[in-house]
Amino acid sequence: MRNYVKNKKMDIPSLLAIIALAALIHASFQLSVSVLMLLGGHAIGAKRSQARLMRLTTSFLFGAGIMTVLLLSFACLLAVNFFGTSTPQLVWAGACGFAIGAAISIWLFYYRRNKGTTLWVPNNITNYLSKRTKSTKLGAEAFGLGLVSVLGEILLILAPMLIAALALVQLPPVWQLLGVFLYAAISLLSLIVVWILIGSGHSLGDVQKWRESNKYFLQFIAGAGLIVLAFFVYASEILGYAAGVK
Amino acid sequence: MTLSVDVIKRGDRRQPEKFQRQKLHASIVAACLSVRTPEGQAEAVAHAVCDAVVAWLEDHPEVTSQDIRIIATKHLHTHHPEAAYLYEQNRITI
Repeated sequence: MRNYVKNKKMDIPSLLAIIALAALIHASFQLSVSVLMLLGGHAIGAKRSQARLMRLTTSFLFGAGIMTVLLLSFACLLAVNFFGTSTPQLVWAGACGFAIGAAISIWLFYYRRNKGTTLWVPNNITNYLSKRTKSTKLGAEAFGLGLVSVLGEILLILAPMLIAALALVQLPPVWQLLGVFLYAAISLLSLIVVWILIGSGHSLGDVQKWRESNKYFLQFIAGAGLIVLAFFVYASEILGYAAGVK
Repeated sequence: MTLSVDVIKRGDRRQPEKFQRQKLHASIVAACLSVRTPEGQAEAVAHAVCDAVVAWLEDHPEVTSQDIRIIATKHLHTHHPEAAYLYEQNRITI
């Protein structure tokens, strides 16, 4: 049996902290939230019952959660296959560089410079998602929409997910499972908040107004979070090791 | 009464279509319901907005769907500002 502690550079709380921060950054991305808002709006506007509304939005939430778990597990599988449970420093350095690049891109391009909360996501993806939200009537369709909405923002979530995967593979097996669910739960926080607001009868207008007025703050937080994550990982995995702290 | 107004849709590949009042009415009602307006009030607001849009269309034989949206938003704003906000945001949420 592999020894999962002996050759590790980081302790379990540090690795879980990295996973939690990466998941928080993931939670700050807004494509799935926008799709959930539209889905809720169309369902309410089409005079669907509260039970149907909740079924649709809950299915969407599950879809987004399942896709997040699947993508993270896949990233972990690739990481284990390529690097084993001890990730080379070069890979950590690359992941940090990628995260900083993604952070700068988010600061520069995340929201389009116009009214509303339109994102720099390819138009065909947003058009497809908009059309699907309108025609979604069944829970299974909403579940599929949740899956696709996470895939739609894969370019954005790749950086935090990659770092989370590299941290996850260093954990002991039981903690890995916990880490995956921790990541999924935290990354869904923003969706869960919107889901609760829709379910409790709040006006979608208020939610959208809040999102629109705070969009640049969310953009800044997502980018800054990625930079903090990259520096933390760089300091503990590269500098800490070079300085002989680890 | 059916107005003979051609509505040019978004995107080059979509064919123009005749203006349909009930389609506009349904979208206004949906926007009002989305901000939790009672159904009766939503219907009344939609009627008023559709009347105003139809009056405007009488002088415009060919319009784009975006024109209709802008005019409808303007009139909806006088009746129900919150619904007007959401109606306007519908295309710019994602």
